[in-house]
Amino acid sequence: MRTLITVLLMAAAASALADSPLFTSRAAIGSLNGEQIYEHICQGCHMPGAQGAVGAGAYPKLVANKKFVSWEFVALTVLNGRSGMPPFGQPVNQAQSRTHLTDAQIADVVNYVRSHFENKYKTNVTAQQVAALRHPAAELMGPQ
Amino acid sequence: MQNGDGSNSLSRRQLLQMIGSTAGSAAMYQAMSSLGFAAESPYRGPIDLQGAPKGASVLVLGAGMAGMTAAYELRGAGYKVQVLEYNARPGGRNWSLRGGDRYTEMGGLSQQCEFDKDLYINPGPWRIPYHHHGMMHYTKRLGIALEPFFQVNYNAYLHSSQAFGGKPQRFREVKADYQGHVAELLAKATRQNSLDASVTKEDQEILLESLREWGALDKNFAYAASEGVSDRRGYEKNPGGGLSARPIPSKPVGLREILQSGLWQGIPNGDAFDMQTALFQPAGGMGRIGEAFGRELGPLIRYNSKVIDIHQDAAGVTVTFTDTVSPGSKQSARADWCLCTIPLPVLAQIPMNVGQAMASAISAVPYAAAIKAGLQFKRRFWEEDEQIFGGITYTDLPIMNIGYPNTGFQSGGKGVLLGAYIWGLNAMQFTAMTPQERVQKVVEYGSQIHPQYHKEFENGVAVAWHRAPFTLGCFGTWTSDTRAKHYDDLCQIDGRVALAGEHASYLGGWQEGAVTSALDAIGRLHLRAVAQGAKA
Repeated sequence: MRTLITVLLMAAAASALADSPLFTSRAAIGSLNGEQIYEHICQGCHMPGAQGAVGAGAYPKLVANKKFVSWEFVALTVLNGRSGMPPFGQPVNQAQSRTHLTDAQIADVVNYVRSHFENKYKTNVTAQQVAALRHPAAELMGPQ
Repeated sequence: MQNGDGSNSLSRRQLLQMIGSTAGSAAMYQAMSSLGFAAESPYRGPIDLQGAPKGASVLVLGAGMAGMTAAYELRGAGYKVQVLEYNARPGGRNWSLRGGDRYTEMGGLSQQCEFDKDLYINPGPWRIPYHHHGMMHYTKRLGIALEPFFQVNYNAYLHSSQAFGGKPQRFREVKADYQGHVAELLAKATRQNSLDASVTKEDQEILLESLREWGALDKNFAYAASEGVSDRRGYEKNPGGGLSARPIPSKPVGLREILQSGLWQGIPNGDAFDMQTALFQPAGGMGRIGEAFGRELGPLIRYNSKVIDIHQDAAGVTVTFTDTVSPGSKQSARADWCLCTIPLPVLAQIPMNVGQAMASAISAVPYAAAIKAGLQFKRRFWEEDEQIFGGITYTDLPIMNIGYPNTGFQSGGKGVLLGAYIWGLNAMQFTAMTPQERVQKVVEYGSQIHPQYHKEFENGVAVAWHRAPFTLGCFGTWTSDTRAKHYDDLCQIDGRVALAGEHASYLGGWQEGAVTSALDAIGRLHLRAVAQGAKA
C-alpha cells in the first residue's frame, strides 16, 4: 500500500513537472514526443531553430541538412551518438531505463527533424524500423 | 598467537578492526573495480627526462592541466616548447568564475558573473583527492595553498521530494538509523542461528560485539532511543553546561521509513575511493592552479589560437591556426613533435593526418553532459540558520547536489553556493535552456530544500558543459567495449603526434587523468626524440 502511494505521488509530481515548459522530470521523459525531445534535449547543442553553433569545434546546423536524405543516418546518429555526441538509444541487454529514449521516441524525433527546419522529407519512420538498427552496446561509465 | 607475556597478541578490538577493514576494502574494491576506478593514480614522483636532443622542439596544443603539465616538464628538460590555446586564459576546465568575469557559451549567450569580491564558483573540477599524487605534486610545486574539501558533512542533507513530506533529513540521522536497524537485524539473525552455516560460533560472538558497536545497539542488541544512539544521530536537546545541561535523546526513524525513503542511497557518498577523506580545494578557487601554471609558462602560451589543421611529415609537425580576436588570416607553428590535448569532440573535427586507428579512437568517445550553477545570497543562511559548514546535500530534485562553500566560514557577508551539479538526462535538459532559465530553475528547486532562497537570492551563473566552446562537453565517457577497441590506439604515438588529457586516462573526468596521461605521453615522446638524436 505504502509503495502504491509512493508510486502515485511520483506520478503526480511527474505530471506537474512535465507541465513546466522548461523542464520535464526523469520519470516523464518517456512521454515526450519528437518536438518536445528536440526542445528539451537536442537543442542543448544543435540550438533553438536547429541553427548549430561554433566554438573551437562546431555543432552541425540541422536546417536544410542534405545528410537528412537518409533517415537511417539520422536514426543511427541519435541511437549511437557520433563522435562527441552521446548515444540516446536503449543499450542492448539492459532493462529500459529513463535515461534513454525508446525506439518509438527516436522514430518520432527523427521524423520531426526531417520534416522541420526547412527539411522536407516525408518518410514516416516507425519504431519497428528503428528497432532493427544497431543500438549502443553497453551503458556508459564515468565519475559523477 | 601468543605474545611473550602470554596474552593474546590481538585484542578483541584489534580483531574487530581487522575484520571491518578487510570486509570494507574487499567490498570497496569490488564496487570500484567494476567502474574501472580502483587503480591508484600511477603518478610516482617527478618525471625524469634526461638527455633531450639539443634544439629539439615540441608543440603543445591546449593549455589545460595536461598541456601545461607537459609544457612545464618539457621546458625543464631542455625542449623548445610552444603552446597554442583556444581560450584567452590558461587552465581549460580548471577554471573559476569570479565577480566581473564574462562567459559566452556556444550559441552566443553571455553571462556576467556578479559575485562579490573573493566569491567564486568552480564550473569544472572542484576537489582533489589526497591520492591524486600528480595534482598534489604540482599544486605544491606551484605554491598553491590548499584547503580541506568536505565530501561528507553529517549535518548536510539527504533529500527526497517523495519522502518525509519533502523535508530534508540530516545525513547524520539517516546514516545512524540505517546502520542501527541493519545491525539490529543482523544481530537478530545471528542469535537465531541463521548464520551458523557461514560464521563459526566463535566468530558469531565477535560479530555480535561488532554489530553492537557499529550500530549503537543496546545490551539486548536493539536499536532504540538512548543517549548512545543520540551520540550518533544527534539529540533532541544537545548536552550543555550548568542548570540547562541535561540532554534529551532523539527518537530514531523506523526501518521501514528509511528503506522506503530511498535516502539510504546517499549514505556511501564518501566511501568511493576518489571521495575518501582527505580531499582538498585550492584557496581562492580551482582556477588558481591553471592561473599559476599560466604565469609559470608565461610567453610560451599563445592564447586565442584556434587550431584548424594538424599536419605531420617526416621531419616535424605543422599546425595551422587562426586568431580568435582577429580571425581571417591563417598562421602556423611548427615543431619536431606535437602533444595534442584538444578535447576529442573538437579534435574529431580538425583535419589531421594520423592513421586510421587513432582517427577511429578520436571519434569513438562521447562526452558527458554536466551543469554547474553558482548562486550568490545576501547571507550565509546555511551556516547561520542550519549549521551546515561545507559539504554537499544530495537530492532527487533535478538540481541533484547543493555544494556549500568549504571556506570563509562565519565570515558574515554574502556567500556563494554551488546551487546545482547535474549530470545525465537532467543535465541535457538544463543545457537546452538559456542561462537565465537555468538559474531560475535552480533557485526554484533549491528553495524546496532551503526556503531562504526566496528572500536571500541575488544573482547566479550556470555553465552547461556541452555549450562550452573550448570542450563541447564535460569529459570523455568510455564503455568496456570502447576501451577494448580504441583506448590503446588513442594513447599510442602516431608518427610525431601524441594525445593526452583526461580522455586518454582511466581517471576520466579527473584532473589527475590529464596530468598522468600527459606525463606518460611526454615520457614516450622523449624516448623517440632521444632515439632520433640531435637535429642536423
